[in-house]
Formats: sequence, C-alpha cells, structure tokens
Amino acid sequence: MTGETTPIGSIHVSPRAVATITYQAALESYGVVGLAPKNLIDGLTNVIAKDPTHGVDVHYDGENIIIDMYIVIEYGTRIKSVASSVANTVRFHVEKALGMPINQVNVHVSGLRISDLD
Amino acid sequence: MNAEAQNLYQKRRQERFRSAPIDGQALKVLIGAGLTWLRTNQEIVNALNVYPVPDGDTGINMVLTMQSAYDEIANSPEHNFGKMIHSVAHGALMGARGNSGVILSQIWRGLAHGMDENEILDGQSLVSSFAEARDVAYKGVVRPVEGTILTVAKDIAAAAEIALEDTNDPINILERIVLAADESVERTPELLDVLKKAGVVDAGGKGLFYILEGMLRYINGQSLDAPLTRVQPLSELSLEDTIETIEPGQDYEVVVDFRPDTPLNLETFYNQLEEIGTSIQVGEGEGIFRMHIHVPTDKRYEPIDYTMSLGTITKVYIENLIEQMEEIERNRRNSKVQLSPVEPNQIAVIAVSPGLGISRVFASLGAAGIVEGGQTMNPSTEDIIDAFENLPTEKVIILPNNKNIIMAAQSAAELTVKTVAVIPCKTIPQGLSAMFRLDPDGDFEEVKGEMLEAIEEVETGEITTAIRTTMVDDINVKEGEIIALLNGKLVLATKSLEESCLGLLNKANASQYELITLFYGADISKQEANHIADTIRATYPNLEIELQDGGQPHYQFILSIE
Repeated sequence: MTGETTPIGSIHVSPRAVATITYQAALESYGVVGLAPKNLIDGLTNVIAKDPTHGVDVHYDGENIIIDMYIVIEYGTRIKSVASSVANTVRFHVEKALGMPINQVNVHVSGLRISDLD
Repeated sequence: MNAEAQNLYQKRRQERFRSAPIDGQALKVLIGAGLTWLRTNQEIVNALNVYPVPDGDTGINMVLTMQSAYDEIANSPEHNFGKMIHSVAHGALMGARGNSGVILSQIWRGLAHGMDENEILDGQSLVSSFAEARDVAYKGVVRPVEGTILTVAKDIAAAAEIALEDTNDPINILERIVLAADESVERTPELLDVLKKAGVVDAGGKGLFYILEGMLRYINGQSLDAPLTRVQPLSELSLEDTIETIEPGQDYEVVVDFRPDTPLNLETFYNQLEEIGTSIQVGEGEGIFRMHIHVPTDKRYEPIDYTMSLGTITKVYIENLIEQMEEIERNRRNSKVQLSPVEPNQIAVIAVSPGLGISRVFASLGAAGIVEGGQTMNPSTEDIIDAFENLPTEKVIILPNNKNIIMAAQSAAELTVKTVAVIPCKTIPQGLSAMFRLDPDGDFEEVKGEMLEAIEEVETGEITTAIRTTMVDDINVKEGEIIALLNGKLVLATKSLEESCLGLLNKANASQYELITLFYGADISKQEANHIADTIRATYPNLEIELQDGGQPHYQFILSIE
C-alpha cells in the first residue's frame, strides 16, 4: 500500500507496518492497558505467536488509510478522554512516521480492566 | 496592602491553618487555592507543551479538570476529610480532559483511596496516600514514559516518605512535597529527550507542581493571582498599565536597567523582589534586563542596591507614584478615551456606549464622539447633539447601539442642520461591526449603505441576570437566574454563567462562525471571565475567541458572533 515513487524505484509501506506503529503508540497512551483480539482467529493466533499488530486493523483502499483499534482501558478513568487521546496519539505517530494523512482512527473499547482498588 | 499589614495577614493565615485540624472544609479551601494558582500560571504550562499532539493545551486541560473537581465540592458542607477528598476525586474523574487531565484524575483517585477513613488529615496517611496515588497513576499505562507527570508523582511519594522520618505535621510534609515536585519537574528533561531538545520541562508535571504549590502558598498567606516568573520582551513591557492598580504603600515606582554578571535565576530574583515591593515586572532584551517595582517610601533604594549586587546597572528611574496618580486622575477626568480627531468634510461617527472598555474599543476604531448610555440609562437627544454639534464636519453618523436609543438619535438628526444618518444598530456588536466599515474620507451614502449591511452580518448574544420572575417566549424565568438573549430575544434561562454562555452559543450555531468576542461587564472579575473564555475555547477549538474588558453595567457578557 501507501506507495511513493522516487527516481530509483518505489517505496511501499505495508498495512502491517502501520499496524505495528499503532500498536506501540497505543501502549504508550495513558489509560490504555492493553489491546484486545478483534475476533476469535486473531485471539487464537496471538496465543500461538505474539503478534506485534494484535488488536489493530489497517485498511487502505488506494486512497484512504483507516485504522481500527480494539483497546482495553483501565477502569476508573474517563473513557471518553482516554479514547480521544489515544486516537490523537496514534494519528500523530503514524502520520509522523508515514508522512501521509490518516483519514480515520476508530477506537473500539473492547473492555475495561479492573485493578484491585476501590 | 502595605508591607506590615501583609506580614500580619500572612502570619494570621499560617497560624489559623496550623492551629486547627485540616478537615473537609479546609481541604475545599486548599483545592480552590491549587486551582487558582494553576489557572494563574496556565499560560506558562501551555507554553511547555512540546508534543504537537492535538491533545489541547495541557494547562487548560488541567485547569478544567481541577475546576470540575472544585465544582463538585464548592457547595458541600461536609467536614469529614475522607468523604470530601472522595468527592474531589469524583469531580476530577468526571471532568478529566486530555491526557494530563486523566492522569491528574488518577492521582486524585489514589489520594482519595489512601485517605478515605480519615476524619481529618494527618501526616502518616498523607504520606501513604501519595504512595497510593503513584501506584494508581502508574497502573493506567502499559509502558510508562519517564520524565512526565508520572515521574513527578513518583518522586513526590518518595520525598513524602523521607519527610515522615522528621515530622508528622501534614503542612511540613506538604512543604517537602512541593520542594520535591519542583526539583522533579526540573529533572524531567534529563529523562525525556523531546523535552531536552525543546529546552523545556514537562508540562503536566509543572501543572501538578502549581496545584500543590498553590495550596502551600495559600497556607503561607502568599498571593495566588500574580504569576511569578514572567519575562517579556522589552517592547511588550507595559509599565503604563501597572499604575492603574497602585495601592497605598506603593509610593514609589523604581525601574532599573541592568546587565547581570551571571545568568539570572528568575525565581530567586522574583522572590527577593517580592520581599521589597509589589507590581513586579521584568523585561529582557539584548542581555539587558529591565526591572519594574512599586515600593513604599522607606524602601525606595533597596531594589537598586539589590540589582547592583547582581550585575552592572545602566539606568535608574525613580518616580513618585502618588504625585503621578493624581496627574493621571486629572487627565482621566478630562478625557476618558482617546477620540479620533475629525477634519472638515470627513465623516464623523458618534457611538453610544454603556461602558468604558467598549468606549475605548469604539475610539480605537475611529469614533469621533462617545455618548454614555445603555439599557437603563438612555441619553437625551440633547446629549447626542452635544457630541457632534461642535465637530468641524457636516457629515455625521450615529450608532445608537441600543433599540431604546434609536428614537433619541433620530430626533437628534432632525434637530440639526448637519447631514446626519442614524444606523439602527440595536446592540454593541452590531455597532462595532458597522464601525469597521467606516472610511472617514469615503462617500457618505456609500459608507452609510455599507454600515447598514454590516449590522445584519453579526449575531449578538447578551448575558444578564433576571430581575423578576416571568415567562417570555415560552421560557420560564425565575428572579436571579442567568438569562441569555440572542439578537434581543430571550433564548435560555440557567443557573450559571458558564451554562448560559455555552447554551447561547449553541443556540446561535456558533460552530458555523469564525470569531467570538466576549465583552465582560463591570460586575464580573477578569478571572471569572477568563475561566469562561477558556471553557468556550475548549468547546469550540476551531473558533477564535477574544476577551475584552467591556465595563458595561448589568450585562455580565455581551458576545459578538461573526
């Protein structure tokens, strides 16, 4: 996907690479305590081999880049604020690395983790 | 306040806090102080934001989060400390904005959890709850980044534990915590490379420091409304304004230009100056510093002696303020605002204005005459004629700026031999919008036509307090409620100013426009107005929001939406 042509050839960035950046950025975002499998197969494969793009989906239709991410948030934080700041952080990091605008970052809150407090 | 009274006041505040146990009500006061001090310094915090992540500005986000925490307890009569701090945590959680706000709310959550059994605050539980706050804050992220507010929370917890070995007094522990927070913030660039590259400290950590320091400053009786270390370019140093706010005990104004021998430590510098006087401002340009201060008569040479110890003095000005004040008062009585001069054959504009700030705006846009008047004080026809009769031109345009004054303006137009046009503007924003179209040398009919067009292009909002219970346009209004009018029509009655402003903008479809100007009235403090402007900024991040001192009576706000 996401190509660029230079005089000596072209550059392609795979959706998987974008997903890896997303994954790393998400885990550094405050309030996000993990990513969740988007479906059963994803869940199973992650048990077999640690996947660096776990819980992230990247779509590229030749024009638009759309990122879907499935996250787990710490119980007791304000979900809306956490979700919007993780979306912003991901967009920032991916756009910085890629130099291309991201059309959508969709955050799916799959679950909450309850720590032993309260 | 003179120095002696200030000292006495500080001592009394300190004694009061140290003699009585710190309960829920005392916590409320401290939360308010932390919020105020953070807000005073929010621009400093905003300026530290190095991530261009559109997380909003850290300072604003933290202020809004703390505001929500304070609002939660503002009217609570609770004396139990544990219950109160739980409400604080709840309020912070509900209002958490942005990344820094979320982390801040987690810190409050941890603090609350560590102290929920407490009737009053004690040293032991203060220390253990800071440890709890650290743990809760770190739990919220998989890969904590060091050199952020998290690190500051961790360093605070460690310092608190050490402090407990020496003292059990919560205020003494707070002192050590504030010190540790300050040092920790200063170390953040060493831990986080982006900060080091940008040459700043972490914004969130600095915000947390201001909240804690605000509490301590309150306990020590220090002021919470003047930001400390501010250095501005020499060209922006507006020393004229400082004189408007002088108080007894500030008899002399001393301005010293100097070149420091070693880099100036601003914080120490300000602290030293604070001991000598008030209204401190420091400016810098090309290595020369200019220091401005107001001092009592007996201390008039101290700022000079002090700066001499820091470097080479190049210039000193000393002025007797009392004398200067009297002169300014005399001038002010003669001409309140700087009106624009009119040449023969030019078009002169006469504007009716309800407040000094609004008059200044009209004058700065080129009004040749101002007539005082507004909703409850309608000027007479004669007042209006007086304003233009002696001007050296025949062409006059009147902006009544209120629907009750249009009639008087029209009769003024009929009673003179000059060519007078009355633009039927019913509100201040309409008048200002017309004012922007003034071309003094333009064709009279053309200018008039443009102004008539202009007044249709702006939406006017007005916020005021209902003086009686009534029902207008199907809206029930109770006496004392805050009501909002959009283009003169009542649209909303609410309990708070903030709700009212936001509700009004919502009804006006503000997001479709570009610029909102708020003129705040005589009955509202700049601080309050600033707070509301910030809330509006946060709600409409794409619009430009301007705040102006309108000085009008009765109306807390007049809003121009264009």
